[in-house]
Amino acid sequence: MSVTLAETPAPVAATSPALEAVFQAELAQAREPKWLADSRREAWTRANLDGKISESGIVVGKSDERWRFSGHKGWSLEGALRAKNKYAGKLPDIFAGGHPLDCAGKLTYADDILAAQTPVSAELARQGVIFLPLAEAIAKHPELVREHLFKHDHALGGGKFLALHQAYARAGTFLYVPDNVEVPATFFVTHWAATPGAALFPHTLIIAGANATVNFLDYFGSVNTTSEAWVAGAATIIAGSGARVFRKSVQNLNGHTLSYQDDTVICGRDSDVRNIAVHLGAQRARYESYSKLNGPGSNLELCALTIASGRQEFDQRTFQDHAAPRAKSNLLYKNALLDESRTIFAGMIRVEPGAEETDAYQQNRNLLLNPAAEADSLPGLEIQNQNVRCTHGATTSRLDPEELFYLRSRGLPKNTAYQLLVFGFFEEVIQRVENEALAELLRKLAREKFGK
Amino acid sequence: MDQATQLEIDREKGNFRYETDYAFDAGVGLRPATVDYIAEVKGEAPWVREFRHKALKIFESKPMPTHWATKDLEAIDFSKIRYYLSQGQKPSRTWDEVPADIKKTFERLGIPEQERKFLAGVEAQFDSEAAYSRMKEGLSKLGVIFVGPTEGLKEHEEIFRPWFGKVIPTSDNKFSALNSAVFSGGSFIYVPKGVKVKQPLQAYFRINAENFGQFERTLIIADEGAEVTYMEGCTAPKFETATLHSAVVELVALKGAKIQYITVQNWSNNVFNLVTKRGLAHEESEIRWIDCNIGSRLTMKYPGVILKGRRARGEVLSIALANDGQHQDTGAKMIHAADETTSNIIAKSISVGQGRSTYRGLVQIPKHLKNCKNNTECDALLINANSRTDTYPAITVRGEGNSVQHEASVSKVSAEQIFYMRSRGLSEAAAMSLSVNGFINDLVREFPMEYSVELKRLIELEMEGSVG
Amino acid sequence: MPSLDIRNLCVSIGEKPILKDFSLSLPKGEVHAIMGPNGTGKSTLAKALAGHEDYTITGGEVFLDGELLLGLEPEARAKLGLFLAFQYPCEIPGVSIANFLRAASQARLPEGQEVAAVEFYKKLHGKMDALKMDRKFTARSLNEGFSGGERKRCEILQMMMLEPKYAIMDETDSGLDIDALKIVAQGVNLMRGPELGVLVITHYQRLLDYIVPDKVHVMWDGRIVKSGGKELAFELEAKGYDWVSKELAPSAKN
Repeated sequence: MSVTLAETPAPVAATSPALEAVFQAELAQAREPKWLADSRREAWTRANLDGKISESGIVVGKSDERWRFSGHKGWSLEGALRAKNKYAGKLPDIFAGGHPLDCAGKLTYADDILAAQTPVSAELARQGVIFLPLAEAIAKHPELVREHLFKHDHALGGGKFLALHQAYARAGTFLYVPDNVEVPATFFVTHWAATPGAALFPHTLIIAGANATVNFLDYFGSVNTTSEAWVAGAATIIAGSGARVFRKSVQNLNGHTLSYQDDTVICGRDSDVRNIAVHLGAQRARYESYSKLNGPGSNLELCALTIASGRQEFDQRTFQDHAAPRAKSNLLYKNALLDESRTIFAGMIRVEPGAEETDAYQQNRNLLLNPAAEADSLPGLEIQNQNVRCTHGATTSRLDPEELFYLRSRGLPKNTAYQLLVFGFFEEVIQRVENEALAELLRKLAREKFGK
Repeated sequence: MDQATQLEIDREKGNFRYETDYAFDAGVGLRPATVDYIAEVKGEAPWVREFRHKALKIFESKPMPTHWATKDLEAIDFSKIRYYLSQGQKPSRTWDEVPADIKKTFERLGIPEQERKFLAGVEAQFDSEAAYSRMKEGLSKLGVIFVGPTEGLKEHEEIFRPWFGKVIPTSDNKFSALNSAVFSGGSFIYVPKGVKVKQPLQAYFRINAENFGQFERTLIIADEGAEVTYMEGCTAPKFETATLHSAVVELVALKGAKIQYITVQNWSNNVFNLVTKRGLAHEESEIRWIDCNIGSRLTMKYPGVILKGRRARGEVLSIALANDGQHQDTGAKMIHAADETTSNIIAKSISVGQGRSTYRGLVQIPKHLKNCKNNTECDALLINANSRTDTYPAITVRGEGNSVQHEASVSKVSAEQIFYMRSRGLSEAAAMSLSVNGFINDLVREFPMEYSVELKRLIELEMEGSVG
Repeated sequence: MPSLDIRNLCVSIGEKPILKDFSLSLPKGEVHAIMGPNGTGKSTLAKALAGHEDYTITGGEVFLDGELLLGLEPEARAKLGLFLAFQYPCEIPGVSIANFLRAASQARLPEGQEVAAVEFYKKLHGKMDALKMDRKFTARSLNEGFSGGERKRCEILQMMMLEPKYAIMDETDSGLDIDALKIVAQGVNLMRGPELGVLVITHYQRLLDYIVPDKVHVMWDGRIVKSGGKELAFELEAKGYDWVSKELAPSAKN
């Protein structure tokens, strides 16, 4: 595959022959059920509608409000390729030397090719837990997968990316936890970008049955700091009635990577879902988070921590869709900006007419650590029911000089005081992961971002 | 409160119309000939005519902003509107000289009475031109100029031309271009250095004709250290078809000057009110927009301040009330362009019945600036189950030591509050309007007394029938 | 004798002079109280001594045991042994008390030396026990969501851990509740001794019901207008601040 996402609208072109060939070859090789092959062909057509994916790439409309403030260049797919062979090098162990992570099962991919696998215990398997590489799940449990795979679409602006993802995504995870099964340990999946120029389409599908408990961690990383990569990932989380789902993701791709990531969360009646995303890597990262509170009494917590440095751009679009009564959602997105980096937060809370007694909150906090950094905030509300409590807040500022003075008056050197405050800013999110191994890892990664 | 001032604000009582004969009529539709007609009738200088023609081209080239704004804009048929209607171009200096039918209208609206009571000057516009314009004599002796745009650009070109169209360029948006092509009426005000005008100057805008578009143009310049308060009110009778009001208002506050611009917008429910308002604040000056939108079918208005000089201050205080069939799409823009500038936005909206209120905000602090501050609060109150509110702020911050804080909330009237008041013997509607008044109380206090009392009364009227 | 010696200190906020030739000597081992009406410069004194950047020193000198204090960074002053108990300590989310105190202790050690964790916690827990504080308290973020009493207790805990030579208790405001005052007093009384000089800044005599000062200074318009023993506090309470403005201030000027 060799495509470029151009800066200026490309002439309306037919599908690129090169792209088409890669798509058809992978489709033929996968031998998937007809429904899935059809769905991929449909997505492929959708991705190419208006000629906006071609050799010259995806073009984002400049007057598209969903892309307001986004840089309109740099989504280049030039030189991107689909890896054919298993990566020969050694893959890093991110938890090495720290607290070990208590895993219920593990999958490791490099360039969308399965590299290692730790299946669930016999006991979990006996209880009906299915934790499989996506391709294997499609073969073994086609009906179960069919019910939810690529079923949820939204309109946060990344439609083309999602269509491309749907056409190509075979690497990733299928997790099914049946009704009343509680798994306290973490399902841990890693996606590595390894070969220079690799294009990755990692997928995560989590289905939690009624009253099930699920903990899940997705980690996206690069094996080196130099290889370019292009990643368009998507995750769907479906929480049944009373289910408790806690999903975490860490995006730590190298600075030559372009990353698009979509999280879709569907909350069932009285479910309790938490989704925490940490964004550290990539040259440019677009993150879209769509959550539908579909079941009455559901409770959703959305959290993100972004540390932007150099000339990184993090573009985050969120949507809290309240479609059922008595549901509660709480969003906290924190961005720390170093150097000439840039963050965009565009959030929307929509309360649909029937969503009585909604309690929704949305908060964006930007910490500017360099005068050249830029933080854009677009916190939005669309409320169509009067019996609600909805608030949002957005602040952008540097470190509070009073706080700095307070710490210094206790004898802390200026630098130490500064770092304590910055890391304190992160702690609010880090502590919410409620997992010592992961919290430790995040603190380490944060320190690395600050070059220590 | 006497009957006359009540008329000023009560929607039903603005709903009347006397037959009027127009001596000047540019006809229906918008063509270059329409522009020429207006320029000719007014006897304008060639540069003004050219300005209009250029604007018309820009208007025609710009699409409707429906990619972010409501599709309701598409209901406007520019080819069915009458762009200029008047009985003459010279406003009278005494009410006795105002033609009888027009005078009757303004008397019924209570304007002459208000002038006697608390105003430093009044301009009363009837469709395209001011029928009456007068300022207290003392002020002209101090060098204060208070005229319409035709007279302003003709008689005081050296004062007004340098700023005309500079704060809001013609191409700013489709409607500023439209206004620039066909503007007529409005106020051109100049307050000389150090002159502080104690009492407000007021303009009253009245639409009387059906299928009509009113396009007044206002430019207020407060020279160094000067201070002025300007108020505008507006009404129109209810017609079967839509009417358009599209003004451009530019404010220029030079060093240390203060301008306060107060609007009480009470158009009838078929008026599209699409207004561009912006101020340019120089060093240590202050511009405040106090904006209250109660009427119209659709209002789109985002008063802004460009904070151009060090330590300039900008403020927008906004109240919007949207009832059935209304959409109040209002907000504020704060463009910081100098160090240590501060801005404050407080917007409160009330949605009643199927009314919809929208807040749009823009706050910009670019890279090279230091120690700027913005504070934004927007609170929405929803009265009925199908009321609607939206909030769309956009905030960009860079630079050193700048801080921005935005908070918004949506709530309903608390059931406990209502119950408490009813248990003391109040009707549900009375309790509701007390609550709603409490919600906007801190902002209403910023209006001159004469207006604030009326605002409260108006809200009581709007609340009637909203309960049950 | 070791002392905190303030000589002819002049401090402005922006262009406005607040402290005007302020002089005071606080010998180590003594507790002094500064009293005075609101707006007379008491809080300015505290913040200026600690090195807050909003306060401009326009004249004078301050010596801490003979070392020049003015011109030093806030942390350098702290390391010399100065401690300011803030009237309203700010909330610092995400920074736990334990981590913060460790970092502050670490900052006082020579380069390359590490705080010994076991000893640190032993000392911390010992001080907390003395203050009857729950051990869980140190896991909380600094001052975040604290009650008035908790904030005071946290300030006192820091003072006990950091063992300053001179402590300034800024209790200027009249709105403090009695329990918070008692906590401050308890802390001062626990630490009182030959190794510590304390300057209690207050508006009301009430705090002095719990801390018996060795000396009382009355402040007016940026300087001290009268000094005396603890009985001066009672006299001031009885006669009120009118007495200061009408009698003490004019005579002090001459």
